[in-house]
Amino acid sequence: MLHVENLTASIGETPILKGLDLDVGAGQVHAIMGPNGSGKSTFAHTLAGRDGYEIGGTVTLDGADLLEMEPEARAAAGVFMGFQYPVEIPGVNNMYFLRTALNSVRRTRGDDEIGARDFLAVAQEAMDLVEMKQDFLYRSVNAGFSGGEKKRNEILQMAVMQPRLAVLDETDSGLDIDALRVVAAGVNALRGPDRSMIVITHYQRLLDYIKPDFVHVLVDGKIVESGDHTLALHLEDHGYAGFVNHKFDDAPLSGVTA
Amino acid sequence: MSVATLPSRTAALEQVESLNLPTKRDEAWRYAPHKTLGQLTFGPVAAADPVAADIDGQIPDIDGPRLVIVNGVVNTALSRLDGAPAGIRLVGLAEAPAADLANIALEREYDAAEDSFSIINRAYGTDGAVVQIDGQHDGVIHIVDVALPGSAQNTSATRVIIEMAAGSSATVVETRIGSGDAFGGSNVRTEISLAADANLEHIILQDLPATQIHLGRVDIVQETSSIFRARLFNLGSDYGRVAYHVHLAGEGAQADLSGLYFGFGQQTLDQQITVVHSAKNCMSRQSFRGVLDDASTGVWNGGVDVRPGADGTDSEQSNDNLLLSRKADVNTMPRLEILADEVSCQHGATVGQLDEEALYYMRSRGIPKGDASRLLVTGFASQMMDDLESETIRTWITERLGQDNA
Repeated sequence: MLHVENLTASIGETPILKGLDLDVGAGQVHAIMGPNGSGKSTFAHTLAGRDGYEIGGTVTLDGADLLEMEPEARAAAGVFMGFQYPVEIPGVNNMYFLRTALNSVRRTRGDDEIGARDFLAVAQEAMDLVEMKQDFLYRSVNAGFSGGEKKRNEILQMAVMQPRLAVLDETDSGLDIDALRVVAAGVNALRGPDRSMIVITHYQRLLDYIKPDFVHVLVDGKIVESGDHTLALHLEDHGYAGFVNHKFDDAPLSGVTA
Repeated sequence: MSVATLPSRTAALEQVESLNLPTKRDEAWRYAPHKTLGQLTFGPVAAADPVAADIDGQIPDIDGPRLVIVNGVVNTALSRLDGAPAGIRLVGLAEAPAADLANIALEREYDAAEDSFSIINRAYGTDGAVVQIDGQHDGVIHIVDVALPGSAQNTSATRVIIEMAAGSSATVVETRIGSGDAFGGSNVRTEISLAADANLEHIILQDLPATQIHLGRVDIVQETSSIFRARLFNLGSDYGRVAYHVHLAGEGAQADLSGLYFGFGQQTLDQQITVVHSAKNCMSRQSFRGVLDDASTGVWNGGVDVRPGADGTDSEQSNDNLLLSRKADVNTMPRLEILADEVSCQHGATVGQLDEEALYYMRSRGIPKGDASRLLVTGFASQMMDDLESETIRTWITERLGQDNA
C-alpha cells in the first residue's frame, strides 16, 4: 500500500534522510523508533508534504506518487498525520475546522459534502472515542488545550477523516499514563484491514498499548534494523547505543518489510 | 437659539477662514493623504432637501429606533423615530428644541485640542443626531450617516451627541456609509458624555466606498464609575480615519476600546486614540487588530496620558497586525506618559504574517491553501467580534469581510 524507496530529504546542505526504504501493507501497523535527531519527524513530514525539504527517491500510496502532491491532495488521497506539536489556531472553531477539512477531501474525491447536522453525529462518535466533552467542539482549534487534549484532538481528527494511512508522530510525547491509555485506545479502535499506520515514537512505552506488526529502528536517516515487536523490547533494555555506534557499512541490513 | 447660531459655531466659522490643514509634521496626521485632504470641500448644507438614498443593502438591519443622515441633513423618510422606549430620546440636531440644546454638550470645550477638521465640523455641521438616554436599555439605537458627494460641496459634516444620564445604559451603533464613485466623503464628530455609573457601548461601522474619505472623531467625557465600551470596525474608504479622545474625569471610570481595521487595495485605515486618566483608580483598555492586504496601510497610534493625581491608574494597550502582502504596511505607535504614582500601564504591539505552520497543519487536513488562509485571517479578525452581543451586527461584519466562519 505505502511504498518508500531510497527516500532522501535535506534542508539546505544538511542531509537528514539518507535513503530510507519501507513498505507498509494494508492493515499493518509499523512502529518507527530511533534516537533524537535520527530523522523520525522529518520522515513523517515528508509523507504529509511539508515545504522546505529537498526530496529524492520514491513514495507511493496505492501506486499514486505522493511526492508530487500538495499536502491537501495527500490528505484527499488518504494520508493523515498526527502532529507531535499540534498547532493552535485561535478564532477558528474546532467543529467548523473539522467539517471544513472533511468536506474539502470529500469535494476533492467527488463525494457530496456533509451537512452540519449529519456532521454532528460523525463528530459525536469521534468524541466518544477519545472521551471528549461536547464543549470541546466549540473551542478554538487547540488554543489553550492541555498537552493531553491536543493529542486527543489529533486522534479525534483522525477518526473523523478516516484515513487510509495514518502517520502518528510521537503521539505519546507529553502524555501522562491516563491520557496515553485514552489515545492508544482511540488508535486501536481505528485499526482495520484497510487502514495502515506508522507509529513514530522514541519510547517503547506506547507500544505496550499499540501493538505493532513490525518495528523499525531509524538511525542517521536510514532504517538500520527491522523486526517484530520484540525488537522494541530489546531497545527498551539496551537503548539505541548499539545501533548508533555501528559503522554504517557494517550495520544490520536495512529492513524492507512487506 | 438654534445650533446654527451657537457662539461656538460662529467662532468656528471665523476660524475656518484662516484654517491650515494638517501636514506630515503633525504626528496625529502623519500618514494621512495630505494632498487629497486638501481637495475635500465643505460648506453650509442646503435647506433640508431629502435626498433619495438606497441604504438598506448597505447597513445592518437592526430593529429599533433609527436616525438617518444624508449629506449632513436628517432624512426623516429613512429614519424610524417613533416608538422609541421611554427614556430614549432620539432627535435630529437641527430640529432639537432650544431647551434641549441648553442641556447638551454643544458648547463643551474638550480636554483634547480641536483640529482643523473638527473646527470645520463645528462650522458646517448644523444637523445630526442627539441621543439622550435615561434608564437602562437592552435594544440598539442606530445612527446612519450617508455621504453622497455631488452637491455643492463634496464632503458632508455631521454631529452626533450622546448624553448618558446617571446610572443609564444603552448601545448606540453608528454606521457610516457612502454611495457612488464620486470623490468626497464625510466628516463626523461624535460627542459623548457619561454621567456617574452610566454604561455605554458605542459601535462604529465605517464602510464608505474606496473612492471616498472618512474623517471621524469621537470625544468622550466620563464621570465617576461610568463605563464606556468602544468597538470600531474600520473597513471602508480610501482614507478611513477614526480618532478617539477619552477623558476619564471621575474616579473609577472605565474605558474599553477595541477595534478591527481590514484594508485592501490602496486603502489607508488610521486609528488615533488618546485616553487621558485625570482621576484616581480609573481603568482603560485599548485592543486593536489590523489585517492589511494588497498595498493597504494601517495606522495605530494609541496613547495613554496619566495626569498628576491619577494614582491607581490601570491601563493596557495592545495592537496586533497581520500583513497579507509584501506591499501592505502598518505603523503602530503605543504612547505612554505617566505623571502619577502607583500606576500599572502595559503595552504591546505585534506585526506578523500568516502562520506557515498553521497553514501547513490545515492543509495536511485536506483544506486547500486559499481556504486555509481565509480561515486563519477570519479567525484572527473574528476575535474582535467575540463580545458583540448583536448577532445582526456580527453577521453584517462577517459578510462584509466575505467570510462565513460559522
